[in-house]
Amino acid sequence: MESASLAEPVARIQVEDKGLKKNAITFLSNVVIGVASTAPAYSLAATLGYIAAVTGLGIHSPAVILVCFFPMAAIAAAYYYMNRADPDCGTTFSWMTRAMGPWAGWQGGWAIIVADVLVMPSLASVAGIYTFSLFGNSNPSTFDVTAVGIAWIVIMTAICYIGIELSARTQQLLLGMEFTTLVIFAVVALVKVYTGHPAHSIQPTASWFNPFNISSLSALNGGILLAVFIYWGWDSGVSVNEETENSTTAPGRAAIVSTFVLVAIYLLVSTAAQAYGGVASLAAHPNDVLAPLGKGVLGSPLDKLLVIAVLSSASASTQTTILPTARTTLSMARMKALPRAFGTVHPRFLSPGFSTIAMGTASTLVYILLSVTSPANLIGDAFTSLALTIAFYYGFTGFACVIFYRRELFKSAKNFLYIGVLPFFGGAVLTFVLIKAIVTYSDPHSGFAKPFLGIGSPVAIALLTIIMGIVFMIIQRVTMPAFFRRKPEVADPALVASSPAGRWS
Amino acid sequence: MSAGVVVGYDGSAGAKEAVRVALEVGKAYAERVVIAFAYELSPVGGELHDYHAALKELATQRLVEATALAAGAEVDVEAVIVEQAPAPALVALAAERGARVIVVGTRGESPIRGALLGSTPHKLLHLSDRPVLIVPVPN
Repeated sequence: MESASLAEPVARIQVEDKGLKKNAITFLSNVVIGVASTAPAYSLAATLGYIAAVTGLGIHSPAVILVCFFPMAAIAAAYYYMNRADPDCGTTFSWMTRAMGPWAGWQGGWAIIVADVLVMPSLASVAGIYTFSLFGNSNPSTFDVTAVGIAWIVIMTAICYIGIELSARTQQLLLGMEFTTLVIFAVVALVKVYTGHPAHSIQPTASWFNPFNISSLSALNGGILLAVFIYWGWDSGVSVNEETENSTTAPGRAAIVSTFVLVAIYLLVSTAAQAYGGVASLAAHPNDVLAPLGKGVLGSPLDKLLVIAVLSSASASTQTTILPTARTTLSMARMKALPRAFGTVHPRFLSPGFSTIAMGTASTLVYILLSVTSPANLIGDAFTSLALTIAFYYGFTGFACVIFYRRELFKSAKNFLYIGVLPFFGGAVLTFVLIKAIVTYSDPHSGFAKPFLGIGSPVAIALLTIIMGIVFMIIQRVTMPAFFRRKPEVADPALVASSPAGRWS
Repeated sequence: MSAGVVVGYDGSAGAKEAVRVALEVGKAYAERVVIAFAYELSPVGGELHDYHAALKELATQRLVEATALAAGAEVDVEAVIVEQAPAPALVALAAERGARVIVVGTRGESPIRGALLGSTPHKLLHLSDRPVLIVPVPN
């Protein structure tokens, strides 16, 4: 036996990488995480009604969902390449800081936080409404929905705080059930439309999927703005987890597969829902589209399956909202762009404890604030302004990629396409959508709620968050100035040279 | 050859006591004591690069603390960070080292609280293929 020599205890500590990340995350898990992060059932439940309600869009919701996929795929290319250069929980915050400097980067980080906080009221109210649907109450009061919604946020925050995780198998099972239910719902709805012609039903035509048949540009634009939301979450989920995939599997397969799975399910369900209920019924219940349709299509008690699918999807979505937000603020704090407390890890649960609680608290407060203004449906307007925020930070992620890699763009045709043309195209489309939407939604009559100071409430909410962001940034500049002295950087050429060929081809 | 003692350490009072007992056991058998800090990185929820860095920092800090507790003990001590959920991490580490026993401390909390918040000793009892020594938190 040798006696302990502890003169250099630190040097003796070794990290055992048990290979968990490399082996346990299979191709299937990757696809599942990518799709589950996007939460298809919840995304459809929360968005279909609002898309159908866009003035002048009519029967073309499926076309909008299809069109929106292209800029989002282009932005995913930007995510992929920026993540190679700088794998960082801060994502857009960190990348914009590197490419465009600390001021732009801080606003990018703020936009992520705002988007995640603004989506929580929608998530919570969908969860609230569907919880009541599960128990047969199809018309709960706003107060009841808010109470259940708050309980939902509290429970989900606690789960993220404690760090309870579902195993890969459980996730696959839940997503499998969600998918099966959505497909059964869609197929049964379409069969009934063709065989029984239920009231208000309309038969699908090719025109539903043709964006060129949409009567006005502003209708297309309004639709795309909302449809951005249903793809939100997919990009980061798949591009990040790609890193952990077994290197023998062709890179990018999981990303491509989960993309097509998503597009397919969105088109199928939106077509079926619209065919069965007609446009007017979708637009009439924007917060609650699938539950009433489910009753007609599947009948009792099978319609509860659809309700359960939306609830399980909403829980996945709440988690994939809280976790990345907490990690973003953790990353910002570690880069000294936010107070230190946000960067702390809970000593027992090892979660980003303070960040998680802060996120849950902010969400609850915003939800209560939006709910007490009921019945104005400010939650609907917050949803629209959420889409503005997402368009902003996705668009700028695209531009950040082009700027960061500017010296590599012309070195090969492949570089030019994947790190130049595609990210720029995505950024340009989203910026156009954003500007056009700001003009449209500034109109005092555009929102669901009453206008503030003569501005439509979606834009008023967005303006308010931007002003808050600027105020917080100035406070941060005064109290922790070091971060704001950072200089923009460019990409290391070696990063592009080692990029796997044909990932997005 | 069966050799060594694996002890889990997370910085709690129970864990400090567990390290003390592990050193006693190690000394009695004249075998190495491996102090482990384990954490799991969830692939759900997007990028975790600097969250990972934060966890690694915390783990290193904890293990520096733990090895300081072992200063003066007449045993060979090793400190290891394992990137896996704590209970399976300790089981895997013990199997790899052919450890005689796994030692962990309790938090001295009620079983219901433990079930809600996640109890490593409880999970370990079910997962382990070798003896587990559970050390109560000192009063």
